Amino acid sequence: MAQIFPERVNKLPGRIALSGGILVMLVIAGIWYYGSPEYTDVGYMPAQPIPYSHKLHVGELGLDCRYCHTGVEVSPVAMVPPTQTCMNCHVSIKADSPKLAPLRESWEKGTPLRWIRIHKVPDYASFDHSAHLRVGVGCESCHGNVAEMEEVFLAKPLSMGWCLDCHRDPDAHLRPLDQITTMGWQPPATQNEFAAAMKAKYDIQPPETCSGCHR
Amino acid sequence: MNRNMDDEMKHASTATNAGKKYWLSLRDRAGTPEYREMVAREFPEGTAELFATMNRRTFMTLMGASMALAGLTSCRRPEEEIVPYVSRPEEITLGNALRYATSMTLGTDVHSVLVTAREGRPVHITGNTLEQRGGTGAHPWASASILDLYDPDRSQHAVTGGVPSTVQDFIGTWTPLFTKYTQNGGTGLAFLMRPHASPTATRLLDGFRAAFPAAVVTTYDPVCDARMLEGHHRAFGRALRPVYDFTVADVVLALDADLFGTEYGAFEHARDFAARRRVTSPTDTMNRLYLVEPGLSQTAALADHRLRLPASRIPGATAALLHALAARGLAVPAAVLSAATAGADADATWIDAVAEDLLAHRGRGLVVAGRGQDSAVHALVALINALLGNVGQTVGYAAQPYAAESDPAALADLTMYMRAGKVETLVILGGNPVYDAPADLDFRGALASVGTTIHAGTHHDETARACTWHLPLRHYLEAWSDVSSMRGHLGIVQPLIEPLYADGISDIELLALLSGGAPAKGRDLVKATWQQLVPGMDDRAWRGVLHDGLFPRAIPLETPVPDANAVASTLRPALFTPPALSATNLEVTFRPSPAVFDGRFANNGWLQEFPDPVTKLTWDNAALMNRRTAAALGLKDGDLVRLSISGRETPMPVWTMPGHADHCVTLTLGYGRTNAGRVGTGAGFNAYRLRTSMAMDHGIGLTAGAPFATHEMACVQDHHGLDVERMAREGIQERLPQLYREGTLEEYRAHPDFAKERVEMLPLVSSWDEHRYDQGHQWGMTIDLNACIGCGACTIACQSENNIPVVGKRMVMNGREMHWIRIDRYYTGDVDNPGVRVMPVGCQHCEMAPCEQVCPVAATSHDEEGLNVMTYNRCIGTRYCSNNCPYKVRRFNFHNYTADLPETVRMAQNPDVSVRFRGVMEKCTYCTQRIERGKIAAKRDGRPLKDGDIMTACEQSCPTHAIVFGDINDPASRVTAEKARDRDYALLGEFNLRPRTTFLARLRNPNPRLG
Repeated sequence: MAQIFPERVNKLPGRIALSGGILVMLVIAGIWYYGSPEYTDVGYMPAQPIPYSHKLHVGELGLDCRYCHTGVEVSPVAMVPPTQTCMNCHVSIKADSPKLAPLRESWEKGTPLRWIRIHKVPDYASFDHSAHLRVGVGCESCHGNVAEMEEVFLAKPLSMGWCLDCHRDPDAHLRPLDQITTMGWQPPATQNEFAAAMKAKYDIQPPETCSGCHR
Repeated sequence: MNRNMDDEMKHASTATNAGKKYWLSLRDRAGTPEYREMVAREFPEGTAELFATMNRRTFMTLMGASMALAGLTSCRRPEEEIVPYVSRPEEITLGNALRYATSMTLGTDVHSVLVTAREGRPVHITGNTLEQRGGTGAHPWASASILDLYDPDRSQHAVTGGVPSTVQDFIGTWTPLFTKYTQNGGTGLAFLMRPHASPTATRLLDGFRAAFPAAVVTTYDPVCDARMLEGHHRAFGRALRPVYDFTVADVVLALDADLFGTEYGAFEHARDFAARRRVTSPTDTMNRLYLVEPGLSQTAALADHRLRLPASRIPGATAALLHALAARGLAVPAAVLSAATAGADADATWIDAVAEDLLAHRGRGLVVAGRGQDSAVHALVALINALLGNVGQTVGYAAQPYAAESDPAALADLTMYMRAGKVETLVILGGNPVYDAPADLDFRGALASVGTTIHAGTHHDETARACTWHLPLRHYLEAWSDVSSMRGHLGIVQPLIEPLYADGISDIELLALLSGGAPAKGRDLVKATWQQLVPGMDDRAWRGVLHDGLFPRAIPLETPVPDANAVASTLRPALFTPPALSATNLEVTFRPSPAVFDGRFANNGWLQEFPDPVTKLTWDNAALMNRRTAAALGLKDGDLVRLSISGRETPMPVWTMPGHADHCVTLTLGYGRTNAGRVGTGAGFNAYRLRTSMAMDHGIGLTAGAPFATHEMACVQDHHGLDVERMAREGIQERLPQLYREGTLEEYRAHPDFAKERVEMLPLVSSWDEHRYDQGHQWGMTIDLNACIGCGACTIACQSENNIPVVGKRMVMNGREMHWIRIDRYYTGDVDNPGVRVMPVGCQHCEMAPCEQVCPVAATSHDEEGLNVMTYNRCIGTRYCSNNCPYKVRRFNFHNYTADLPETVRMAQNPDVSVRFRGVMEKCTYCTQRIERGKIAAKRDGRPLKDGDIMTACEQSCPTHAIVFGDINDPASRVTAEKARDRDYALLGEFNLRPRTTFLARLRNPNPRLG
């Protein structure tokens, strides 16, 4: 009886299996990468009501983060400043700038500005700014170097895996408490010893169990 | 089984009836196969169905809708806004809580509370610990009043003639009336308000009386102490209030007094009483409580001896006690002795034993009569306390100069004037007399004879609808006022939030408007009072008062001598010869609801779903009677019957309760509202329709018709049964004493470790390597069963703290109530007169948690501090964990219960706690959000965490401090000390679950003569 399939087909099942396998892995890898917050979220930069420049205010004028974000050391939330904080200066500086028209309107009418939120962890995750600042985790570790951002964008994925990376090994992110708000801070060569000393001094044991963040 | 158990079993076999010592409910005692099947199932059959009428079409509709929604939401990243303040209020730090002290009043009873506010909105209420002796926790009514503030059915604008109006318009109406009544001295003007204890209201009311001397001023609340005050007025010549000191009382006799339930100052009584039950070593002493009552009350859970007696027989029992005391040598004035005819109904041995005990503890005993008893009983009790030398020791008296007490007789007079056309204008400030006035007064009918009727209330309720004007009254959390407690302390009521609705007026502002003709600001009115009241009240002192919420003033209690002849003159012979009771001549007793009180909390979902501590009913009231009475009437649980008394009639479902006196029916007030709002309207039946001026608290002549329908009741008593399978297998008699461990004081003294030995503990061996929990904080809890009064304050405080949804009556009937901490209630002994045992059960946080081992997705796991935690977003809803939990403390969201929460109610949610979605399991977390906050705050301040920094909501609300939470790794913590007590035991400890919550065994202190 004649063969139904010619000899050259013999390797086909193996090839199909192999390429099928590769395809599946590619799909998984694709979803893994393109579906992760690293890809989908990082770089998110919505248009804000006022194109506020952190680069100008922090990078060039040297404002400390805490001038505006006053809750950051005492509360879970850092707080977006009230219109009043902006008006402290802008009542006289750039008082007629068309870009600041929404700000003046807010101040005159008493209606709040409506910023678009960029940094957001899910509702079921509780993040506490004060707890992190208190033990020497700098703003930059999560927000990136805002001193170089013309407009703020999401610099880190803020995903659970990313949080846990640091909770498991925080050494690289611990700074002296007076450097918390410094942008572009570089860890010294002795960072490991310094981190060990910080951990001992402030009893740093980042929680890795669910209740640390989920309530 | 040890010796003590043998004794107990012997005792059990001598008990009457089936000889059962422990039982769950009457249905359990009957032990029908249906009941067995019901408790063995976690949920009743068929509850997994979404809707009873689900067919293919509804299924397709729902699926289609959810697919469409799922498709839409995935299209874009949800955009969220940040809306900062324009100008930030100085004291608010976003994300952090602020606490303010204020006061809540119920009639003249004052609750000093501490309110937690987040971003300017009150979210949680607990007790003010600056109060005397550390405060009294938070009453369920106080905790739940948060929800009242955000009630979407609150009245939002004035109404006149059915048309929306404003308070400003009312001022226009009032001005000519004001001129008219100032000129004629108030002839034709009447004013009806709720009782109050406010110095400012007193001052303004004096002003009102001065401006309108001819006006009628009346105070009325349906539940009040008018008869007690009248009795004291007869005995002392002045209407004094008794102030009890349970911390020094060794022997207490309560006559129809729900001392720790719904009576005046109940939580203060409970706290002081429980302080004498914290037995820590065999040398400690303990108080003893005798209770005489017609129906089972919450106080029965603490009674060492209870006598069931119709309310109409209690004067006779009091007289019998007086005679027994005299027979034992107490010098009782002859006039009183001859006027007081001893009733024959009360067990003479029992009465004599009490008399002997009271005489043996002169100056350390206390007799208390309940508000439902006749004024003569109160006069007699005042005399007995005086003769026993208890006055000045366990009881003192106080006049409350700044309080106006409820006076039902004056309300009757007012209705008479109204009907006679003598009232042209009637102002009703607070209260709902159309609903709750005695039925014989026909208040609604009398209103028709009044020209202008003005009602001010928080809701557009029954009375508002019958009046020409309705004004929205401010909630106490958005208004200024003040209070004075019976010990003389002054307290402040301060607003925590801007009024939710622009149109409205507070009670003192309305008083000022009425008496002065012009609007005034609440804060100025209060400040003006306090400047008179407290000499040298400068700004600094005022700020101190606002901070503390109260201003302590020591007013010594009075120790007046009762006039024996006056007491004798109150003793009418009719009191001691009540008509005989029978199945056709029943006695009816009215009691306020422990949940909705007199009906004012009827629109509060938390309270409607709060299981009545006595009946365990939710969303309903019923005619409570014992099984024998029901059998004589041919009635069974859930039968809807027409009850009638002196020509008045109301439908009411029947619910059998053990412990009632024969032929006695208890009706719970506060239900059957017709205009309460979306929650309360239509819940239960209106018992006020049977309540008349002559029989405000109890009456004779009630008859019950034949059942004409069946009413479904949502009773949680048989839900979430603990260890039911083993109970069914081994018998509840053997099993329950191992779960609820109790003994007598004598037993404890002889054998301090009795609690630990109730169960034979085999060597505990684990099948795997155990985790060591010896580092850092390790959280644990103890619950002292000897101090727990079963009030349920923990349940409501937990509901408020942890955003626990209200599920509704139908869901409760399916066993789906969501309370994270429930109060288990067991009966013991005689079915006619059982002992009541209460036990709060929440998640026990087992170190070897069985729930964790069966979760397929690790949604429930342990953290390093020993908490059994739930990760809601991992949960896929298999419910294996709940099935494997021996304590039955896990609660499943069968539906998205919070989906249709009104916007205002969402404001009551705690922002620190996730709101759970459909299909997710939840349970007690030991308030993990508070633990994390506490730890972070300590770290932020650079200090070590100390004991008491972190308190769970249940612990904070507990009036008797029965619940203690803390770090069991800290040798100095209170919880470590509690766990080291010999009464400490682990519930189901023999399963090697190592629960972090343990219980301290209950002790009883029976009189050896009564066994």
